[in-house]
This record gives sequence, structure tokens and C-alpha cells, in this order.
Amino acid sequence: MIKIENVHKFYQIGPLSMEILKGVNLTVDKGEFLSIVGTSGCGKSTLMNILGLLDIATSGSYFLDGKEVSDLSDHEHSETRNKKIGFAFQHFYLLSRLTALDNVGLPLIYRGTSERERRERSAEMLKKVGMDHRLHHKPTELSGGEQQRVAIARAFVGKPSIILADEPTGALDTKVGQEIMNLFLKLNEEEGVTIIIITHDPGIAKQGKRAVRMHDGLLREGL
Amino acid sequence: MILKANISEATRSLIGAKQRTLLALIGIFVGIGSVIAMISIGTIVQEEALRQFKEMGTDILSINKGYGGQGDSQRKSGTITLEIAEKIPIYCPEIIAVAPYTSTYGTFKYEGKKWQGPAMGVTGTFIDLNKLRMKKGRFISDLDEQTYFCVIGNKVEEKLRSFGITTMIGTEMFFQNKLFTIIGVIENTPVGGMRPYEINEGIMIPITLVRRFEQGGEIQNIIARMSPEGGHVTASRQITDYFQKAVKGLAVRVRSAEEIINQMQKQMQLFTLLLGAIGSISLIVGGVGVMNVMLVSVAERRKEIGIRRALGAQRGDIQIQFIIESILLCMVGGLLGIGLGIGASYGISIFSKWHFAVSYDAILLGVVVSAVVGIFFGFYPARQAARLNPIEALRSE
Repeated sequence: MIKIENVHKFYQIGPLSMEILKGVNLTVDKGEFLSIVGTSGCGKSTLMNILGLLDIATSGSYFLDGKEVSDLSDHEHSETRNKKIGFAFQHFYLLSRLTALDNVGLPLIYRGTSERERRERSAEMLKKVGMDHRLHHKPTELSGGEQQRVAIARAFVGKPSIILADEPTGALDTKVGQEIMNLFLKLNEEEGVTIIIITHDPGIAKQGKRAVRMHDGLLREGL
Repeated sequence: MILKANISEATRSLIGAKQRTLLALIGIFVGIGSVIAMISIGTIVQEEALRQFKEMGTDILSINKGYGGQGDSQRKSGTITLEIAEKIPIYCPEIIAVAPYTSTYGTFKYEGKKWQGPAMGVTGTFIDLNKLRMKKGRFISDLDEQTYFCVIGNKVEEKLRSFGITTMIGTEMFFQNKLFTIIGVIENTPVGGMRPYEINEGIMIPITLVRRFEQGGEIQNIIARMSPEGGHVTASRQITDYFQKAVKGLAVRVRSAEEIINQMQKQMQLFTLLLGAIGSISLIVGGVGVMNVMLVSVAERRKEIGIRRALGAQRGDIQIQFIIESILLCMVGGLLGIGLGIGASYGISIFSKWHFAVSYDAILLGVVVSAVVGIFFGFYPARQAARLNPIEALRSE
């Protein structure tokens, strides 16, 4: 499903070359619910960006659905993100001018899906995340938990192979955060989608089927 | 589908940033407005100038003595007599009518009041060839021959009325100390074009009379009308040939209305182009305004760009999104500007008493130019947006 081998990532900051990832290996099977835990600055966001094809590893290989994707063009990366990867972010990142329904439909626009189908699929997905009563609300009219639900609907609407969630509960209080985790768990069961959650919170991490810890640019199994 | 989504997204974004949108709109509005106004006015002036020619018909030729040739002074020595002039239609099959005339300048006198003005010696055909209209009385007839009759222009009538004369016909006035009886008044006639003389300010008297008191009152000019089937080239050649045979050593220059109109049209197009170029300067300023607004828009929406890229938008999708926004901005400004331009040219033509006409070319040009301005000045900001690194864009606040 997902396999990264010996991934290194260097950042050039002025004259200094910082090694953020120091040879990361990771295999994630289809339908897994994986948590990546680590303190801030350990490189977990960099790993997430590489997994999400927003960034490219300095060296190493990345197989997604059995295909080496790290050396694809920007165009192919965009297309892969669009079709195979769903993102959820700590701060939701919804577009404030659009309604919940239109926000969810965004990934489908870039596939050329018709407006009618976009609306149908978005409404259906919003129903799955329990937001069918807020279809025409804008993000500013929604609570944090509701916004994250919309963002999750947006991540799932395109039926991706993997969902990458970066601190999805980080901006929410414990109770709402737990609701969001329950939603991820439910969708993982129902849709069979691989979910990778990045968090610094071991309490969140242990709810997944599997957890790995990132420390100083390296990964190891377990919390 | 994506286009429709882009257009509605662009609309939302432009409405969202009202103040900025408004400022950019004003720039384009004034820019397109001035281009349209300049071009419309250019076209109106052109039509106005040509109308004076067309009024007399394009079948008119003007024959002038002596000028041109090869600059050989001896060739100017011959004299055109009335007889020679009036025989033109007989010898030139393409010519159906001629109106020779003489021009002079002198002193008018009425009850002790004196003023200067022009007088023309004309034949009976003059009224038809020049498409003049009588306001009162009749025109000079060839039968008037040596009679001291005159037809007065509109301005002369006004002058006489200011002296207290109510009935023009039959009133007597002096020109160069000869007493003339007024037999008609010409309606106000626009001059210029093929009527290069002051009809309104002066009088017209029988051409046969001029010689009796005016030295050198010889025929310098003839107006001629071609047959409807005739071409001006053939007609001109026939006239030149005729004069060469009829008067030894005489060269005439023949100019046709058609020729002059073509010449004028070329000049006027250049003039319109120049006006358009002047208008374009403000359009460029407006375009830079749009570019500025678009750059701000891109900077403010870095995060949005990052989100869209993460969700799978291609660079091209982002670029098109911003270009469409820029085009939309320019098109709205442009449409308003077309209104402004037409309004302005309408105002100016009312003020200058020109015939107002909406130039559809100018409208089409306005629409096309605003789209082009949108693409041109939106391209750079859109490319900036498309080239943003998705991670950096996502991180920005």
C-alpha cells in the first residue's frame, strides 16, 4: 500500500544544512489506522508532507499503491494528491467564502466532476460526518468541531486511498477531539480507507490500530 | 464545469474585496472609457467631414485652372472663357453638367453702411451642382445675363435684417459701387469639402456681369458632374484632354470628390488611431491598477492557494482561476467604460453639433481590449500564484 524506504530530507537554511529525516522506513497496509507520534520539531510534519506529495524527499523511495511516486512531475503529484490522498489539517483550512457543501466539493472540481454530481456526493459525504443540517453554512458560522467534520468530509469525498490527518484534534477541546477521533475510526471501518494521523498526544495515538514514534528524524514501532 | 466554478469563485472573491475591486474597476472604467470616447469622436469627426462631401454627391469633379501641371509657369497663361467652360459636356461624354464660377471680394454698401465680403459670378447650373436650397425668391438664371441681380447668402440676410429690412426680395444694395437688386436668399449651407467658398457670407451674381466691372474676373474654377456610369479617372482624362486642345498652353487640375474622400479617409483613420493611442495611455494605467490589485489578491490568498494545491489543483488551475478573476474585473470595468465612452462622445457631439452615431466597432473593440487587458495584466500575478510552493503557501497566514 504505502512503503517508504530510507527517506532522507535535508533543508538548507542559509549556510547550514539540516537533516530533518535521517533514513525513515515505513510500510502501511491497506485499511490500516496508523498514528505517528512525536514532539514538535521531530520531523513528523515533514514526513507527512512527503507522504502527501506536497514535498519531495532528498533521497529514498516512496511507493504509493505499488508505484514509485517520488520522481513524478508536479502535474502528476497534483493529480495523485487529488485522486489518492485526502488531507485533514489542525486548523481545518476551509475556504471562508464557500459554504460547507462547496468546500467539500473542492477536490472534485479539479477532477472535472459536474456541478450536480459534486453537490450530490458532497451532500452524501456531509451526511456521513453528521453535518447534513449545515450544508449551506459558511465556516465562520460553524463551531471548531463542525468545521473539522466538514474538512473530514472534504478529505473523504474523492474516495482516496489514504487520509493524512495532521493534528486533527489539536485545535479542539478534549470532548470534541474525541468525537472527531470516533468519526475517523468509524470511517476507517466503513470505508476501509487507510488513515494516518499525526499527533503529539499519546491518548489520541493509542486509539489507532498501530502507532509509530518519530524521534530526531527516525521512526520506531510503538508509542 | 471548472470554468463555471472558476467564474463563480472569481465573482465571490471580487465581491468579497469590495474596496479593492472598486478601485481597480475605476481604473479600467476610465481607461476603456477614454479609448472608446476617443475612437468614437474620431469616427464622428470623420463622418462629419465626409458628410460635407457626400452631401454634394460623389459624382462631383472640381476643375481648377493652372495649378499643378509640372510647375511650368507658361502653362498657366491661357484663359478659360465661359464658352469654353460651357462646352465641356459636349466634348466630354462623361460630364453631364458644369458650373463655372468666378470669385471676387469687395465692398458692400447699404444706406451708408459699408462692409467687406465675397461675391461669386455664377451660372444657372450652380444651384443644382452645389445642392443649394432657396429660402426665398429665385436663383440666378442664364437669362439674367447683364442684369444687376443678386442672390444673397444667409449671413447677408441677417445683416440686412439688422438694418431694419423686412422684405429682402426687391431690396437694392451696392457691391463695388454697382447697384444690385436682391432676387433670392439661399438657405444656410454648410461649406467645406467640395464647396470651398463662402456662400453664406456673400452674394452671387450672373457670371456674365462680372467681367463688366471686375478686372481679372476670369474663370478659375468649374464644378462638374459626371454621368452616373462614369468613372472619375476617365472623366478627369477627358477634361484634361479637352482643355489642352481648347486653350493653348493651359493645364487644369481635376479633383474628384471620390478621390478627396479616399484621401481624407486615410488621414482620418490615422487621426482616429492617434486618438485611440492617447486613450490607451490611461488604459495602461488602469491595467497596471488591475495588476496591482491582483498581486494583492494573490498575496492575501496564499493560504487558499496552498489548500487548493493540497486538494489537487494543478498549477494551471490556479493560474486560470486568477486570470479569470482579472478578466472578469476588466470586463465589468470595460462594459461600464463603454457606457462612459459612448456617453462622453455623445456629450461632445451634442456640444459641437455633430451627428452622433454609436460606433459598434468601438464597442467591440472595448470588449476585446478589456479581455486582453485582463489577460495581459492578470498573467503575471496569476503566474506568481501558480508558482507558489504548496507547503509555504499553506503555512502562510
